[in-house]
Amino acid sequence: MNSHRRHEGYLLIDNRFGPGVTAEFIRASGKDAPIVTEGQRFESATMTCAHCGVVVILNPDRTRPRHYCPKCDRYVCDNAGCGSECRSFDKLLDTMQEREFLKSQSGSILLTP
Amino acid sequence: MAKWVFKVSTFTPVAVADTANFTDEGYMGLMGGSATQRIDISDVYLGGQATSSAPTLMILGRDSTVQATPTALSTGNSNAALDPATAALAAPQIAFVASTTKPQRSATLAGLNLSYNAFGGIVRLQLPPGSEFKMLGNTAALLGEVSLSAYTGGTPGLTGAHIIYEPF
Repeated sequence: MNSHRRHEGYLLIDNRFGPGVTAEFIRASGKDAPIVTEGQRFESATMTCAHCGVVVILNPDRTRPRHYCPKCDRYVCDNAGCGSECRSFDKLLDTMQEREFLKSQSGSILLTP
Repeated sequence: MAKWVFKVSTFTPVAVADTANFTDEGYMGLMGGSATQRIDISDVYLGGQATSSAPTLMILGRDSTVQATPTALSTGNSNAALDPATAALAAPQIAFVASTTKPQRSATLAGLNLSYNAFGGIVRLQLPPGSEFKMLGNTAALLGEVSLSAYTGGTPGLTGAHIIYEPF
């Protein structure tokens, strides 16, 4: 039986042998990131949102359920648009790629009446 | 297709804000070789080489301004297929660390914060098949360029890095 964990990536941030980064440093940057201080090692699963393609670093301490798309059979991220309707990111890329293929072929295809 | 690895042996990331020009030799950039090329990034590694504390805010992010006229990779940097038997691509993807028109990191498109301390720190990101960091084409509108760069703040330190990806 397949598990959704097969879609999970792996992130390692290893500051065991260095001074690491402080919570103040991360907060000051305004970016959201794992805080891995001196002597710590952070390991976590990642998840790629099926609807927007964002790679999410999963918070091991989270207890709330994550959004899930039954059509994609994949997890989706917390972004407002991603949890509401199924808009597969892979399908979007396929559509965009197809459009580029057609663009590159325009003028080189003979259409018969 | 085949997996490729873009490796930069040693560089000091130059911290820049989103939507600001990158500094040559201070980032790693990867761009599609044609408007239809797909690239899946599956592995990113950062190894700290600094000799004193160097908190570094590394971002794997999409670019809102893409490079033009890239400079060829210099000694110590490479972009090659993992399998030496890999056939040459008709439109090879572009791996670069310098260019005439500088790329800019997007402030809004998806990115990943891989902050660490380059004094002894290591970062490794592995994404399984189907869940890769995906790119398409060679324009910003198509998500055609991804960069590994330092964000404003901290004191970025000497780093070695590689990105493993698959173009198709």
